[in-house]
This record gives sequence, structure tokens and C-alpha cells, in this order.
Amino acid sequence: MPIREFWRRQPRLLRILAVRLALIVPQMFGVTLVAFLLIRLLPGDPARLILGNFATDESIALYRQKLGLDKDVWTQFAIYLDNVLHGDLGTSPFTSKPIIEDLADRAPATLELILYAVIFTVGLGILIAVVSVVRRGSAFDWGARAYGFAAGAIPDFWVALLLVFFLYTVLGWAPAPFGRMDLMLAPPPRITGFLTIDALFAGDWEAFRSAAGRLILPVATITIVNAGAVTKMTHSVFSEIWDAPFVAHMRACGVPERQIIRAALRNSLPPIISVSSFILGFLLGAAVLVETIFSWGGLGQYAVQAVINSDYAALQGFVLVASAFILIVYSIADILYEIVDPRIRT
Amino acid sequence: MARRSSSLLRPGLLIGLALLAVQFVAIVFAPWIAPFSPIEANPLDSLQPPNLVHWLGTDELGMDIFSRIVFATRVNLLIGFAAVALSLAIGVPVGVLVGYYRGLGGALVMRFFDFIQSFPVFVLGMALVAVLGQEIWSVVIVLCMLFVPMFARIVRAEVLSLRERPFIAAARCSGANDFAIMFRHILPNAMTPVIVQVSVSIGMAILLTAGLSFIGAGVRLPSPEWGLMVSSGAQQMILGIWWVALFPGLAIVFSVLSFALLSDEAQRLADTARRKEGAR
Repeated sequence: MPIREFWRRQPRLLRILAVRLALIVPQMFGVTLVAFLLIRLLPGDPARLILGNFATDESIALYRQKLGLDKDVWTQFAIYLDNVLHGDLGTSPFTSKPIIEDLADRAPATLELILYAVIFTVGLGILIAVVSVVRRGSAFDWGARAYGFAAGAIPDFWVALLLVFFLYTVLGWAPAPFGRMDLMLAPPPRITGFLTIDALFAGDWEAFRSAAGRLILPVATITIVNAGAVTKMTHSVFSEIWDAPFVAHMRACGVPERQIIRAALRNSLPPIISVSSFILGFLLGAAVLVETIFSWGGLGQYAVQAVINSDYAALQGFVLVASAFILIVYSIADILYEIVDPRIRT
Repeated sequence: MARRSSSLLRPGLLIGLALLAVQFVAIVFAPWIAPFSPIEANPLDSLQPPNLVHWLGTDELGMDIFSRIVFATRVNLLIGFAAVALSLAIGVPVGVLVGYYRGLGGALVMRFFDFIQSFPVFVLGMALVAVLGQEIWSVVIVLCMLFVPMFARIVRAEVLSLRERPFIAAARCSGANDFAIMFRHILPNAMTPVIVQVSVSIGMAILLTAGLSFIGAGVRLPSPEWGLMVSSGAQQMILGIWWVALFPGLAIVFSVLSFALLSDEAQRLADTARRKEGAR
């Protein structure tokens, strides 16, 4: 079998990438199909919804023709797919801008928020888990377990409100929960769309402080609620490895504790990567609530507006972009997973 | 001293059961416990802080928060139970079938589940409720889309290992047909992980319902629902009016926690049972 021979001879990294990329295409096709069907399932005739109750039957028939509704479902899907491939997600009747532009405008706000949130969530989760395993049976260990258990029961939107109340209203420590930056300040010129990074590029310290300050409460909210899951997961993986013979052996050889921890952590990496990617994907949806509370102006808030306005085209665009994002995150995680764990054979 | 009962009298189990009992009392006796109507607005009493008449204060519309929290137990738990029951009714048989008859059909069903689960839960929920209409049953359907694949997956994994066991071969030799093997011999042995998952799922359902209602894609006013109640107090929180959002949020935490505790205890019981079986 020359093909199989050829495949085997390729570098491992290349094989992992090829398999993953080949899987993305059908998955994206499926996502597009679902986003399309979701809107097709809507009760009522879109032409009548748009033109209103007083439209004549002729004008509705004409409009149906214009929208392509007179064709069968699969032709419509083909047209939709073609449009999506050309970057056309339709136009929102509420912002009267192409939906793809709306989404591109708002994406950096959400990405900035969830990226910082994931870094802190995973960092804190791992830290708590490692300390509680190393100090097994201590008060910290008990506290960490209780936290890991309870965190899953707390609604994020409620935590956000409590943080706003205590840290902003009562104590006045945190900045106001209105948007990503002080409105009195000029935003830095857009390069990445991440206000903190753009402000640094522009050397604008005041803008940086404002943007970073505004991030504290929403990032803290997401971290508090989600770090528990990371803690729980890391705890079970890490404690198992901590009891492994190689750790006892390292200790017997007099390897410093810090280095043992690093080696044990390296071995617990694969499940941590998958749980982190899951959280990153989950946050895109969960950030909807946090964004709403902090008037963040990101994708999540756009989606909420779309729901409230019954702006189905915008909602469809959001579902499509969000699912594509999650698909990409999961694929990257799978690739990393296979890279860090050489035992997985491709 | 307690010899055998020590595993039954764990604090987690007791707290979980106590919280669950409180919720059932609230569900059954809501009209007698609640001093006010849960849906009657009274603008003259708007935003009263907790006092002797309104124990937990009133919201913007002057509705009594304590009464609403009590009645909301019915709405939230009804949604949670209905969603999980429906998901069990669909997911468990599907899991058994897919696990028992492996093959193209089963593989397709599993890929389809993978696919549904790759959507962001919350986004899918928002979109579906927007499409189906803001009714309690729309929320239940959204939750089912989430739970059916989960239960089916768990059952399938169990069935895959059980079907290779000798007692299944014995049943087949004694002339049992596929249906009897699947549902009388395999299913009862595959239920333990499902039962553990049921309780957690009810908690998840309550959290998700509350989240959907919070952003206006779930249950609608004036229905009493915990997430909706938190949402109605969200604007006032900044102004220092804390009671409107605080108490219903606490209700969510306690409710979800009670189901999480029970599931944790169920898991522990299952583990002990398995260990005993292994030792035998």
C-alpha cells in the first residue's frame, strides 16, 4: 500500500494537522446547515412578517420571489451556503449594516473578555488544585474541595451583580460597570481591537488603566464561577499522578519539590487542555449574561438584542460565527492534546 | 455506635435531603406559605426593603419577593423535572438501541449527538426559545436537546460493555429475544450512572432556565421564576437596592446545591456497591 506507506512517513505533527483540518470541512458544513434550518423552522411567512399585515398578496408573492422563498428548501440552502462562503450573512434590519460587519465590530470586545477570563480561570483553577493536592488534608484542601463543589451551583449573572454591588456601589473600589472603557477617554487607534493591547501600542496609559480596570469585574465573575470546574478536574488528575511511583522515586532521589510539581503537572496536561478548551467554548455562550450586565457591547449582547428584536438574520449570523469559533477552538485543543501526549498514536 | 448506617448519615446527604424537603414543602404548600399573591403588582409598595410585612422586601412592581420565591419553586422545579424526565424517556432507549445494535445507524446517531453538543449550549438555547416562543415548554425542549445526547451517551457506554458479559450470552442461549435482552437484562444493570446523572442534570436545568430567563429568552413576566426575579433586580443593584436580586439568587444556589449534593452521594453509594461487588 504505497499511500499508507507515504502517510506513515510524514512527520507526526503534519498527520495530526491533516486529520483535524479534513474534519473541519464537514463539521462547518453541518453547522451552516443547522444555522440555516433553525431560521427555516420559524413559524410564519418571512415576507409577510417584513411587509406587515396590510401587504397585498401580489406584493408578498413578489417579495417571496425576491427573497428566493419560492424555490425549494435545498436550492435555498445552496444559495445561503454560497452567500456564506462569500462572506455575506445578510443585512440586519435593526442596525441596517451587513451582519458580518456588525459581528466583526463586536467580536474583539468578547474575545478580549473571554481570553483574559480563560487565562485567569485556568490559572487559578490549576493553582488551587496543585496546592490542595500538595497539602493534602489541610484546611486549604477542604476549602478548595468545598469551593470546587459549590462553584458549579452559583449562577454567573448573580455573582456579577453581587460583585457590582459590593465592589462598586458599597466600597467604590471597582470602576463602573458600564462598557469597556471610560466614555470620557478617546479609545486608542484600533489595531487588534483589544483595548488593553491597543492602548499599550499607542502608549496611552490612561486608556490602558481604564480598559484594564473595566475588565476586572467581568473577568472576576467568570473566574469565580468557572475556576471550580478546572479545580475539580485538575485535582482528580493531578492527585492520581502525585501518587504515581515516579513521583516517589523523584522524591527519593532528592529532586526539589518545585521540580517534582512541574514534572507531575506536565503529565496531567492533556486533560487540562481539553477542559480549558471546553471552557473557552462554553464562555462564548456564557459571556452573554456577563456582557449584558456590564454593557460590554460584544457579540453576546448583540445576540441578546437580536433575540429581543426578533432579528433572526442577525441571530443566525451569530450562531454560525459562534459555532465556527467553538469548532476551531476544539480543533486546536485536539491538536495540542495529541502534541503534548506522545502516547496517542495518529 | 453506627455500624452500617454511617454511610447513610453523611452530612452532605442530610443537607441535600433537607434542602430538597424544603423545596417540596414550598411546591405543595405554596398558596398557604406565601403571604401574598406571586403575580399581583402593587405599585404603592414598590421597592420596599425587607420588613415585617414583606419579609424579603418587594420588587419594582411591588410584588412580594418571598411569595414569588416560594411560587417560583414550582416553575423552576417543574421545568427541571419535566426536562430530565422527557430526556430520560428518549435518551435511555436510544442509548440502549445504539449500544446494542452497533452499526451504521448507531454511528450516525452518535455523530448527530456530537454535532448538537458542539453548539454552544446557551446560544442554541437562546436561538431556539426565540424561534419556538417564550413558553415554559420551549425551555423544556431546549434542555432536552442538551440532556438527551448526554443520557444516550452514558447508557450506550454501559451497554457496550454489558453486552459482552456472560450473563447476556446465557440469556440469549435460553431463548430470550433481543427486546427482552436489551430492556430486561441489560438496562437494569446500566442504570446506575444514569441515576447519578439525573440529579446533577436537574440542577443544570435550573441554572440554565434561570440564565435564559435572565436575558429575556426564557420564562416571561409576571410568572415567578428565580432567574427572571434576579433580572428584575439587576438594574437596582447598582443603586444599592440589593434585596430584589439577592434572595432569588440564593434560592437558585440552594436548589442547585441540593441536587448536586444528592448526586454526589448517589455516586458514592454506587462506588461502594461496585467495590463490594468487586471484592466478592
